[in-house]
Amino acid sequence: MNIELSEYKQKKIITLSGDIDMYSSPLLRDKLMALVKKKVPFLYVDFNKVSYIDSSGIATFVEGLKGMKSFGGRIVFFGVPPKIMEIFNFSKLDKVFEIYGSIEDAFNS
Amino acid sequence: MKEFVGITIPSHPKYLSIVRKTTGAVGELYGIPEQDLEDIKLAVDEACSNVIKHAYGGDATKKIAVKYTVTKRLFKVIIEDNGMKTHIGAMQGRSLNDVRPGGLGIHFIRRIFDGFRFDEQKRRGNRLILSRTLHAKK
Repeated sequence: MNIELSEYKQKKIITLSGDIDMYSSPLLRDKLMALVKKKVPFLYVDFNKVSYIDSSGIATFVEGLKGMKSFGGRIVFFGVPPKIMEIFNFSKLDKVFEIYGSIEDAFNS
Repeated sequence: MKEFVGITIPSHPKYLSIVRKTTGAVGELYGIPEQDLEDIKLAVDEACSNVIKHAYGGDATKKIAVKYTVTKRLFKVIIEDNGMKTHIGAMQGRSLNDVRPGGLGIHFIRRIFDGFRFDEQKRRGNRLILSRTLHAKK
């Protein structure tokens, strides 16, 4: 998995690529929780190039969401591929996370 | 003699990608539909992750053996370790409505494998037997 951090119009974007599994999720957790600690108000996660996610990856995002909510921040996903979306749906997390099709939709939300 | 494919990996999370690739290759060889295969890869990955976390308590120096047998009717995966005994009653997972980190892996395993049991004959460690009934193409 590769993680890129960028900023666009004062909005933080995490671009992920590759597999998010038990091996890579601790690194993702470190990056995510560092942003939570900084109390970044808006965090956008680009899933377009994510090829796989397991329960440890999902747990990392649930933890991130709870951290963001603790200070009124928002974490917003976009570009979630269908096979990853299917896992969110099954886990009933499609109702918990804010998920949008494109970066524009996410920014306009 | 029944044919099988087997791999043994160290109990380090970095080798889970090899388990996923092998599961995918075996499934492709036997014509498992793509969406089913994605679910099977996730389930086998989760079962091996559980071995690392629970049976070996995070010790990355042990071994995990994964063996695949496919027949017309069954896709079977046997996952063996030499770690602490796991009891099936302890593997319930959390309610899907209770949103918190953890407890999802077992749901991913059970939703694709209709057979899920530990071989009680194994004296040391665990032998998890997962099986999925395959429906013949019409």
